[in-house]
Order: sequence, then C-alpha cells, then structure tokens
Amino acid sequence: MSEIHLRSLVKKFGNFTALKSMDLRIGDGEFMALLGPSGCGKSTTMNMIAGMEVPTEGNILFGERDMAGVPMGRRGVGFVFQNYAIFTHMTVRQNLAYGPKMHGRPPAEIDKRVGAIAELLQLTPLLDRRAAGLSVNILQRVAIGRSAILEPAIFLLDEPLSNVDAAFRAVMRTELKHLQRQFRQTMVYVTHDQLEAMTMADRIAVMDHGVLQQVGTPIEVYNNPANVFVAKFIGSPGMNLLPGRPAESDRGLVVDLGPLGVTAPLPDRLASTLRGRPGEVLFGFRPEQAMLAAEGRGIAAPVTAVERIGARTIVHLGQGEMAMKVVVENDQHASFGASATVVPNMEAVRVFDRVSGAAIAGSTYG
Amino acid sequence: MAEIAFRNVSKRYGDTVAVWDASFTVRDNEFFCFFGPPLSGKSTILRLVLGLEMPDAGEVLIGGRPVNRVSPTERNVAMVFQNLALFPHMSARENIRFPLVERRTPEVEIERKLADVAAKLHIGHILHKPPAQLSGGERQRVAIARALVRDPAAYLMDDPISALDARLREETRVELKRIQRELGKTLIYVTHDQEEAMSVADRMAILEQGAIRQVGTPLEIYDRPASTYVARLLGSPMMNILPLTGGAGEARIADGSIAVAGLALGDVAEVGLRPEDIRVSPWDQGGAGRPAKVYEVEPLGGYTVITLDAGAARVRAMVRGQPEIRPDTLVALSCEASRVHRFARNGSAISQPAETV
Repeated sequence: MSEIHLRSLVKKFGNFTALKSMDLRIGDGEFMALLGPSGCGKSTTMNMIAGMEVPTEGNILFGERDMAGVPMGRRGVGFVFQNYAIFTHMTVRQNLAYGPKMHGRPPAEIDKRVGAIAELLQLTPLLDRRAAGLSVNILQRVAIGRSAILEPAIFLLDEPLSNVDAAFRAVMRTELKHLQRQFRQTMVYVTHDQLEAMTMADRIAVMDHGVLQQVGTPIEVYNNPANVFVAKFIGSPGMNLLPGRPAESDRGLVVDLGPLGVTAPLPDRLASTLRGRPGEVLFGFRPEQAMLAAEGRGIAAPVTAVERIGARTIVHLGQGEMAMKVVVENDQHASFGASATVVPNMEAVRVFDRVSGAAIAGSTYG
Repeated sequence: MAEIAFRNVSKRYGDTVAVWDASFTVRDNEFFCFFGPPLSGKSTILRLVLGLEMPDAGEVLIGGRPVNRVSPTERNVAMVFQNLALFPHMSARENIRFPLVERRTPEVEIERKLADVAAKLHIGHILHKPPAQLSGGERQRVAIARALVRDPAAYLMDDPISALDARLREETRVELKRIQRELGKTLIYVTHDQEEAMSVADRMAILEQGAIRQVGTPLEIYDRPASTYVARLLGSPMMNILPLTGGAGEARIADGSIAVAGLALGDVAEVGLRPEDIRVSPWDQGGAGRPAKVYEVEPLGGYTVITLDAGAARVRAMVRGQPEIRPDTLVALSCEASRVHRFARNGSAISQPAETV
C-alpha cells in the first residue's frame, strides 16, 4: 500500500512554525499537488515525507506503517528536485542506469529498463550523449527518468519544471500526468504554480502560511473555493471579490455593491443562507463566468485596461477594492475608458464572509 | 519627436551574430516590444539604442537623426533599471533626484523637473517615503520617474518584471501599460514572456537569432503569423503545426484525421491550427468531424486543454468551460477552413485566398 497519511503534522524551526498541524490522506496511486506561495510549508511537508526533515509533532504513515525513525533510503520514495542533480561527466545512459546499478540489478535488466524509460521520456536519441552539453530541458527529463527508473511506489517532485522554458513546460505537464496515469504511482508534487497543479493533479492541497486551506479536485477548488485565499490563488486571473451588503429587493435578495450598483437576485439556496445574516460580504465570481454588456442591468464600471492575449481578452474594470476582471472572447468589444456592464452568471457566484474570508455555506455546490 | 529607427543594423560579437540586418521604426509615443527566445538579440538591440554598442553596419536613428557617433549620455534615451530597483536608503525624492544631482544640474532646475515628473506619475504625495514603505505599484512609478526626470525622448526596459511571481506579473504589466499610456512617451520594452508582450505592446517585433521576423500589433501577429517560427512563439498552448500527406489535389491533414471542408491546399506543406480554433465533442454524441482519441485532459478552470491523438499527429485543443471529456475516449474533431493557417515548405505563411474560405 502506498497510501500516505499525514496526522497532525507540525514542523517548527526554532520559534518559526513552518507547518501548523496538517492532516492529509493521499490515496494509493493518487496525484496530489501541494500548492501555495513561497513560505506556505509545502516543501517542508514534502521533505518530511521524504525523510529529509523530522516532524516536530505528528506522524507520517505509509499504508499502516509509521515512518518515524525510518531513514530516507529505506522509505522507497523517488525524489526529483528543482535543481536536477545529474552527473555531468556521465552519459544520459549512465545517469539513468546509476540507480539500478547501485541496487545491484543484473545488466540485462538494467539495459531493458533504461531503454524503456528513455523511450517514454523521448531520450532515446540522446542516450550516449554526455550530460555536460545538454540543455536544461533535457537534463530535467534525465532527472525524472533517473528517479522513475527505480519504479518507486511513491514519487515526490519539488518544482521540477520551474527551470525549464514555457513551451517545454506545457509538454512536460501533459507527459508527467500521462506517465502517472499509466503507472499509478502515488505522486506528491510541490509547486507554487496554480496552472501546474490544476492541469496535472487528481487533487490539490492548497496551503498558505503553514496552514492547509483546502483539499479538493482542481474543479472543486476552482468552482468552490473554501475561502478568499483559495479563490484568489486559483485561476488566472483569480476570482473577483467585491465588498457589499445583502439587501432585499422586489426581485429577491441582492448584494448592494455601493458605487457599482446592485447585483442580480441571488439563487435561492444562497439567498436563504444570507437572509438576515448581519455584516458585509464579498461577492465573488470568476472572470470567465461573466459577460460584458454595453448597457442594461448589472454592475457598471469604467474599463481601465484591455489585454488581448491571443485566444482571450482580459478586460479590467473599476478601481481599488471595486476592481474586477472579465475574460471575454476576442470578438467581444470593450474599449478603454468607456463604461461597461458586467453580468456575472449568478449560478456561479460565490459569497464570502468579509471578516473571516470563509465561503458562506449555500454558496458552494456539489 | 521620439521616433527610433534602425536601418539595416548588424552587430557581431566575434563569430556570433547578435543582430542581423535589422530595420524597424518605433513610432512616437509607442509601447514597442521586442520578443524572442534567449539570445535572439533583444538586449543587444537595447544596447545599440542606448549607444552602449556601436553597430558593425547600418544606422541607428533617434528622432530622425543618425546617432551612431553620438555618445550614450547625449542620446537622450533612458534605461529603467532591471527589476525597477531603487536605492533603499534614499527616499523616493532622493531616488528621483539622483540622476540630476550626478549631472550637477542646478538645484532650481532639479526641483522643477522633479515636480513635473512627480505630477505626471501621480506620486507627489509619496516622495518623502523610503522604497520599503511603498507598494509595488508605487515603487514602479518611482523607478520610472527616476528614468524620466532627465526628460528623455524615450525610455527602455529590459525584462523589468521577470523576477516577480506570476500573479504579481499579471498585475504589474497592466500597471506598466497604464503608466505608459498616461505619460505618452516612447517605450522600448524587452520581454521573454509571450503573454506579457501581447498584453503591453502597441506593436511588437519578433526576433530569431538576431533577425527581425515580423513586426505588427500583437493581434496581427497572433492572427496572421508570417512563419511557423512566429506562429509557435505566440499563444499558449502553442499552435499545432501539422504536416500534410498525399499529393497535390488530395493533400490531407494528419493522414486525413482532421477534415476541413473547403480548404484550398495548393502549395501548402504544413498547416497550423490554434488550440482554441479546434472543436471537440464526445464521439458518442454524434459530434461533427473525424474521430480522435483523448490522450490527456487538463482543466484550467475557465478553459480545458485536451490533448488528442489524431492519426499520427498529437493535437492540443483548448475549449471553454469544463466539458465532460475523459482520457482514452473518442471525440469528434473539427475546424473551420477560415481558421486554418497555411505554410509553405520553407515555413513561411501562404496568405489565405479570401474567396475559398
């Protein structure tokens, strides 16, 4: 069993708490991304799973087995770092064969495995090239291959794609995901890039300041963020969050956004939770889940910038805490300086408590 | 007049060609971006504009005047420091004054120019603060004010925000664009990030190994790339470029796996399909098009990238929303003829005869 179970895991460095009591179950064969900004505790968590750091409190279990006191080399994990550690004086073949050789595998088996992994990672034509002259992109593939060749049941990757160029990163994302789906190792992938986590992971553990914020599938954390941090961190651009107050109208419960006007009526489920609830809220909607209208009912604000980025156009509206973005198709018109009306898809609206930042129940679906 | 032009400029370092026969004109008040992979000549072009390098051949013109023999200090163009760095021990005011103090400008004139640039950039109220007490956006404005206080004809930036994290870059590029629009001054800008280039530039030049391959607005270049090289550089995921098989008159895309009705192929050797122009629908729902097998599905939230095996070709499609499409299933694949980019054997684009589409 290659399930990983983190139980009340804490890590302190002197007075600094890097990780505050984390509970997480990573299923056998699951691709789990640990996602968050720098200093969120994701690498610390991975280092403890690998056995490079000792937890201050709590346990790490692989299946039923507690890993306390089990050294790194005995945990059966493969590890790929951001800075690939490749032997530059060796060929690609020698680098790939290094692990199995150290484990005393017979030469015939090593040859077979090297051939297979090279084929998968498209390294076959480069097998007899010396690592010293190869590009960063290729070295990162060699690093992944060198770890994968040992067929670890648990594979840990710490920002393995952050040094490769953008085009190759897109290809590697697809390939890594495909590899993992074929072989079903348990994969723990540390990244600060929400795009990597979204595109590859079965589930994402979103972290901030040493605290686990939410665990869910990419679609869950995108559609139903547990709090304001997740809402803003996931998505590109992140979720729009506008301060306002629930208010009754003849059409039903709406959110009064002050200078921006009032929203359309909230869906019933959301309206019933919000009704009679005191205090300000944040009215949240994804930039992709709104339309622009030249006029009419909706939230009206001046267009402050228009970014046409290939397939999509990001329209920026309003200023300060009333700033928002809408992603529209390129043929939809929005001109700088003019006022536009934003019409969010009300079914996709999420509402958060202004003070705590937590999602308000009834605002999440599924 | 702050037009900046190159006429057939070349520059070598030893055996390495850094810039090759480059000609372009950056118009007055334009946000002009140079974009290309590492070592494609972007930074050398900036150095040639600044006068830190002499061209081996050709002429650099600023405001219509040849400046090959004009020293950097007399060219009246200003570089904004990498990462918009400020001196941390000086206030915003001292930072901005610095270039003038260094030049022994009279005090009265320094104060006049300071007031002028501070008004233009809306930073009069923060001049007393040290950089540490400024927000990211305010720091940028101060860094730009420091470059502009000499009243240069144009200012230059070399990948100024590459060190920031992704989310901050997305905000900062919009802010930079806003500042440039307010100032209305020529800005020459270098970046290695295609999304950033398309976001900020009024027009851009695409570089390959020191040569300029295409100049135009971001959308012109995105919609009508001059070659497969340019086509691959802009857009994420990048354009699918697929070889044609079969002879003239019966040419097929990806062994016929992608059928495009009414497409004239003539001398075309390769076709390009933008991921967002490919339509994908579940095969068992009787969607239009030929079948392809789903290799991977990557959700982005607002969009979904679907990698497909169509015949021998691997194709990426990007669709809006969160469609119910699973790996290893069949989907129907189609594309409109008007969205197909056509390229000759040498990689250059063949313009679409409007009548056939």
